[in-house]
Amino acid sequence: MAPAASASGQPQWSTKFDTKRRHDLFTSPPKDKTAYPTLAAAVDPHIESFNHILSGQLEHGIKDIGTKIFLDGDPFAAPGAGEKRNRLSLRIQDVFVDKPVLPSSNKVALKNRNIYPSETRERHATYRGKMRARLEWRINNADWQEEVVDLGNIPIMLRSNRCHLAGLSPRDLVQAKEESEELGGYFIVNGIEKIIRMLQVGRRNYPMAIKRGAFTNRGPGYTPFGITIRSMRPDQTSQTNALHYLSDGNVNFRFSWRKAEYLVPVMMVLKALVETNDREIFEGLVGAAGSEGLTEKQFVTDRVELLLRTYKVYGLHSKAKTRAYLGSKFKIVLQLPADATDEEAGTEFLRKIVLPHLGCVAVTPAQDADKFRMLLFCIRKLYALVEGDCAVDNPDILQSHEILLGGQLYGMLLKERLEEWLNSFQLALREWGRKSAFKPFTSQDFQKDWASKILRRTQSNIGQAMEYFLSTGNLVSPTGLDLQQAAGFVVVAEKINFLRFLSHFRMVHRGAFFAELKTTSVRKLLPESWGFMCPVHTPDGSPCGLLNHFAHKCKLATSDLDVSMIPKLVAQLGVSSKSSASLDASVVVQLDGRVLGYCSPKEAKVIADTLRFWKVEGKMNVPLELEIGYVPNSNAGQYPGVYMFSQTSRMYRPVKYLPLDKLDYVGPFEQPYMSIACTDAEIVSGDSTHVEIDPTHILSILANQTPFSDFNQSPRNMYQCQMAKQTMGTPATSLRYRTDNKTYRLQTGQTPVVRAPLHNEYGLDNFPNGMNAVVAVISYTGYDMDDGMIINQSSLQRGFGHGTIYKTKVCDLEEGSRRNRSSKTVTKLFGFAPEGLVKAQSKETLDDDGFPRIGTMLRYGDPLAAWHSVTHDSATGDYINRDAQTQFFKYKEDEVAFVEEVRIIGSEDGTQPCQKLSIKLRVPRTPIIGDKFSSRHGQKGVMSQKWPSRDMPFSESGIQPDVIINPHAFPSRMTIGMFIESLAGKAGALHGIPQDSTPFRFDEQNTAVDYFGHQLMKAGYNYYGNEPMYSGITGQELHADIYIGVVYYQRLRHMVNDKFQVRTTGPINPTTGQPIKGRKKGGGIRVGEMERDALLAHGTAFLLQDRLMNCSDYMRAAICRSCGSFLSTTPIVSEYGRKKDKDLTMRCRRCAKLADGASNKADIWMDAQGTRYSGGEDVAIVAVPGVLKFLDVELASMGVRLKFQVEP
Amino acid sequence: MSTHYNNPPQSQQQQASQTAGEAAASAVDSTARTVHYKCGDCDMDVPLKRGEPIRCRNCGHRVLYKQRTNR
Repeated sequence: MAPAASASGQPQWSTKFDTKRRHDLFTSPPKDKTAYPTLAAAVDPHIESFNHILSGQLEHGIKDIGTKIFLDGDPFAAPGAGEKRNRLSLRIQDVFVDKPVLPSSNKVALKNRNIYPSETRERHATYRGKMRARLEWRINNADWQEEVVDLGNIPIMLRSNRCHLAGLSPRDLVQAKEESEELGGYFIVNGIEKIIRMLQVGRRNYPMAIKRGAFTNRGPGYTPFGITIRSMRPDQTSQTNALHYLSDGNVNFRFSWRKAEYLVPVMMVLKALVETNDREIFEGLVGAAGSEGLTEKQFVTDRVELLLRTYKVYGLHSKAKTRAYLGSKFKIVLQLPADATDEEAGTEFLRKIVLPHLGCVAVTPAQDADKFRMLLFCIRKLYALVEGDCAVDNPDILQSHEILLGGQLYGMLLKERLEEWLNSFQLALREWGRKSAFKPFTSQDFQKDWASKILRRTQSNIGQAMEYFLSTGNLVSPTGLDLQQAAGFVVVAEKINFLRFLSHFRMVHRGAFFAELKTTSVRKLLPESWGFMCPVHTPDGSPCGLLNHFAHKCKLATSDLDVSMIPKLVAQLGVSSKSSASLDASVVVQLDGRVLGYCSPKEAKVIADTLRFWKVEGKMNVPLELEIGYVPNSNAGQYPGVYMFSQTSRMYRPVKYLPLDKLDYVGPFEQPYMSIACTDAEIVSGDSTHVEIDPTHILSILANQTPFSDFNQSPRNMYQCQMAKQTMGTPATSLRYRTDNKTYRLQTGQTPVVRAPLHNEYGLDNFPNGMNAVVAVISYTGYDMDDGMIINQSSLQRGFGHGTIYKTKVCDLEEGSRRNRSSKTVTKLFGFAPEGLVKAQSKETLDDDGFPRIGTMLRYGDPLAAWHSVTHDSATGDYINRDAQTQFFKYKEDEVAFVEEVRIIGSEDGTQPCQKLSIKLRVPRTPIIGDKFSSRHGQKGVMSQKWPSRDMPFSESGIQPDVIINPHAFPSRMTIGMFIESLAGKAGALHGIPQDSTPFRFDEQNTAVDYFGHQLMKAGYNYYGNEPMYSGITGQELHADIYIGVVYYQRLRHMVNDKFQVRTTGPINPTTGQPIKGRKKGGGIRVGEMERDALLAHGTAFLLQDRLMNCSDYMRAAICRSCGSFLSTTPIVSEYGRKKDKDLTMRCRRCAKLADGASNKADIWMDAQGTRYSGGEDVAIVAVPGVLKFLDVELASMGVRLKFQVEP
Repeated sequence: MSTHYNNPPQSQQQQASQTAGEAAASAVDSTARTVHYKCGDCDMDVPLKRGEPIRCRNCGHRVLYKQRTNR
């Protein structure tokens, strides 16, 4: 098998070890392009969607924002009194975003002013570039004046076209202190890597038939039936239009604008769009006069008649009048200038709100006609739904979904911020007007104050808003962006290991709204997801089914296709603009939510098939990625027609088109109506049009790494996907330049012997995630019960599973305080106070400069850094310390750590003394009993014993297992894949070959066992993988042959050292006296109701008392036997005696009498206030829970007295 | 790179500063003590005193590393 060279000239990756090639790649990273193009492609949608913001999306957005007009004069003046008001027009002409560079305040760096991502990581800063806008303004009809306005620094996505890393070769990336295979696609905010999560949203420009009970709540007459269409503007902001069916047959048009809902009769919208008449509308809704099936359409004709009749009450008879009427109602809502006419406002309403995907900037009459036709189609579909001619569209299936990419969301937010910035001029102008006695815009003062008083008052800090969005994930938006959630858009791209990091980019969420939903229907794995969403790779628990991962071959469209030729081709194939009444006679042909025409169902199939042939063939300029959704006529199924989609955000995946034996892409809309065979053997002649390229294409990157996953019970594969992401592996090779809060690292990672070719294709050998271990399946010592595993102590000593945790502590002297940055306002400095005493103890860990020494061992409470307060002496330029006090940042963790790196962080302008320190600590974590390990088959276990090598069982060839697991781990879990991995690993290790573990490669005729069994036989081993073994303790042969082989083991990041929690006594809650919660604070684990029940049921009363009393809020309290009160007891205070804390004599104040002359001197006692009493001696000391006394006090405060009977 | 050029004077400098530091140790402990750091970008030696701005003298880089030893 010679390595096949791919088109790029690089040899393709196979399942081989490729040691030499990888070594060469490590020592000399390629100068041209990455050796792992598949890996880069996995992240591409993120980067491309970000690139698209500045190469189109925002440009469209600016056009959509258009020109904002503000009027001068007193807004509260009596109307009609003054002269004509002047108009200030504002528009954004251009937006520029620079690559991250140093601010101009930095005068020291001369050569290289670029800020690279590695620096922002190290400085715990944000990777951001300056954003500017060219703002144009004019007064009345004067010339436009322009001004470039600084809009702050916006975070930049790594490897995007605004990043310094864009297009760098692996070698250059290493030079820039990045991974050689740096993926990009994320942001760095405050030193933390953040990623905008992909979101599943409704498919754009497709009218969905919806039946929802909540629709009836809108008012009387409303029915559950409706049509919604998520109409998408070219700037990727959407406007949802909905139609409601009313019980009398009427239809209302609903939309949301700035989070408020509005309803308009649909007839009004129709009549405003084009100059039309009732007959045209009637024929458009029912079907052309004399067309087929018109007589059976009594239901629709009745309703359309009613629709037309009820509209008569408005008495609006022309397009202009209808627009003026609409405009008068929505002028204020749309924030139009006060001097706009009603008809202009109505036109603006149609432009902005009604089906903006068919035209939202400078709308032509043809576009209005398109909107009209589309709206008619929606109404037709609505009537069909009500009549029962079509079914509701399921909003939970992938067919009706698309993906909101991170860059698109970012662009939407940018557009909205820009628009809000223009809107904020209103306030600034009014403020200026109020202060200047409402001078006109034409005055000199306005010109003078424009920059200083008006422009500066606007909300121009878009950079800060974007940074807030990325650091919190919260959407602050007046429109809500047509999304169902306002938070949770951004997640931290955790680098626990490489697989975890990679998964973040392939992850797609259904939306926070659905997470709270009680029903589970949205979480279901539906067949429509086939090939797009991985069926295996979803977490179990609360996000199950909502947080999915893309199949590894699923692609995302990030730009619109050129489909200008489609309408012509479709017209040539035969569509007419008129439709018949019956669906059997004519169905619709649509392209991106635009009605191209109607044709018969037969013709529709021909159109779909012909276009598909052309698109695969590459003829007639039909793009290959076009989605041609042919919905056939059915018995009240999905509304039939040909729906084509060419725009961005779609998912598509490669399959083979059989007629041409060529690559075709299919999308989720068309897939349910296509016949795609899974394997070549399953192709049905005359039915199948496509065949899968490989059955593994349905699995995600991670799920593909599970060896022989087709042999496992499916939940085990899900568990493995979870555990692979929790493995202590290799997060990065540029660890030296990273400052993650916490990173795990496996010191002794290996490449698995058993792996799929995709392992190499995705370059996973650069980030090893586990170790090959010799695993014996025996019940040997009893320590392997219940998922325990015994590890050979010598293996551990040789480094098996040895790991490290790196933690970064930031010592910031100006945390949250100083915002105006100047070297003169510094109040604290690192280092020991110059005049102060320095304790020798603190010098043990700290150097002269007050920073920790590298390599120092730190224990709990050791100083991490020293600082002192200073004031700036402007005469000498020195910092003077006056109090001679040195303060310390301390190491506050129980575990021993070593100082690995100390970074002294300067400010961006390079003029300030050190205010921030970043200390990387290394916590060695050699495996200890209680640490968690797992194989790649969801078989996790806890190391329960380190077994000495001499006592381990050994085979005839002298092999000892590294790991012993219990045979009981298998029967119920049915992870046969692990057995096969064991066989394959053993054979691979014996022959020195890597083993291909791709699922679906073996079948009943060619079994895996046979394949690997013969390999084992060739190596002189038992065909079944069993071997006779000898007890390591007695040396006797074990009665049974033992299944032993090589399995790849992962060490999971859950370690006892982070988990153990013990206490007898410790910190308590001051009010109740009970132990506090939380491991960090040294608290206890709650013995709750059920635990109490268990102890009770066992009759272990002393244990119960120990837990609930002695180790909790045990308290000795004084109680008066006679009056039964805790609260009336008081200690006596001797007049002469010394204070003794012990042996306090307690008396009851309530039962005592005030001492008078008659009482016996010996009986008189005095309380702490000096009042003398006699009597009240019947006081006992009892042990009670502290809260009991607390309860007594609480009740007493409400006037309730507790009385206790004390016996004996 | 420039390491060859820089090394000899650097060690002398360090020795000088150390002897000076020891002489004045009893009176003023560490006010004038220079500590040497490594530039995070160009790997140059950066001597800094207390209160001095953090930047590399050579390239103006803003992250400095503490060195493992001061010998």
